[in-house]
Amino acid sequence: MERDLVEYIVKSLVDDPQAVEIKVIEGEKSTILELKVADTDVGKVIGKNGRIARAIRTILSACANAQSKRVILEILD
Amino acid sequence: MIYEFEGKTEREAIELAASQLGLETDQFDVEILETQSGGLFKKGKVKIRVHTAGNPAAGYPAAGAGISDAEALAKAEKSRAPGRGKGTEERAVKSSLTEAEKLPMDEFETKITQWAAEVVGKMGYPAKVSVLFREEKKIGLKIETDNTSMIIGKKGKNIDALQLLANVFAGTLGRDDIKVILDSENYRIRREESLVRIAYESAEQVRRTGRSILLEPMNPFERRIVHTTLNDIVDIETKSEGEGLYKQVRVMFRGRK
Repeated sequence: MERDLVEYIVKSLVDDPQAVEIKVIEGEKSTILELKVADTDVGKVIGKNGRIARAIRTILSACANAQSKRVILEILD
Repeated sequence: MIYEFEGKTEREAIELAASQLGLETDQFDVEILETQSGGLFKKGKVKIRVHTAGNPAAGYPAAGAGISDAEALAKAEKSRAPGRGKGTEERAVKSSLTEAEKLPMDEFETKITQWAAEVVGKMGYPAKVSVLFREEKKIGLKIETDNTSMIIGKKGKNIDALQLLANVFAGTLGRDDIKVILDSENYRIRREESLVRIAYESAEQVRRTGRSILLEPMNPFERRIVHTTLNDIVDIETKSEGEGLYKQVRVMFRGRK
């Protein structure tokens, strides 16, 4: 579900939605989302001073499920 | 005519009297019967007696007339009725206004409202998003959901993050000339009001103590409200301190020059 959310947001922001890949690593207390986008789009998901990445993480932490389990978003480049 | 009223403070009792009798506060004489000042954990109580000239139009039962007096009660009901009528009238005006806001949306508006509804929905909160207002280079969207507090977040953290992403998304649609404002349950207006109140209160305290106050960290938009609110006050000066997006406003006493 968090995966869907991140996928939807990221795909709406990048130039190359086809290249968006998300790998979910389920841990005991936390879920790690590894996000991969086209090289040219990395800046678009991070933003100036990481503003966009921070906004996505804030929204993740406000998810209905996030109350019980931590969700960590990692952006790979 | 003589009436009796009771309130937590003298002012409250007088205001109650004025509204019940349908008179201005300067149209009657007030006699204070009893004052119980409130302690730290106890609310105070003030009893007043109001003297009016003649019989006022409002049929409020006079003191001692007895509440059981059906005629007086009916009269009081009647006198309150116009007020209620006005209320429904105001509501009607308001709803017709929102009706006007529901004018057909263009392609961009459809896309951005759908996007916002989709994102909030995927967060686990089914939501309805509609256009709140349209201005030149600005569009306001209203998010309606059962979990408004989660959508807004602490100090608006979540709704600000959503708003930032909505603006980036508007940019990808080729509309970076337009600013998207997200709101839920009038949070933006309520926040603005509370900021203005905080600004005035800290100005008052600074003037009293002569010491400057550093307010909590705020984003540029919120700081701007504080600065502009206190800009007109001659003996108070404001300055932003700190680095980054979230700076703190310092309210200082300048003295009378």
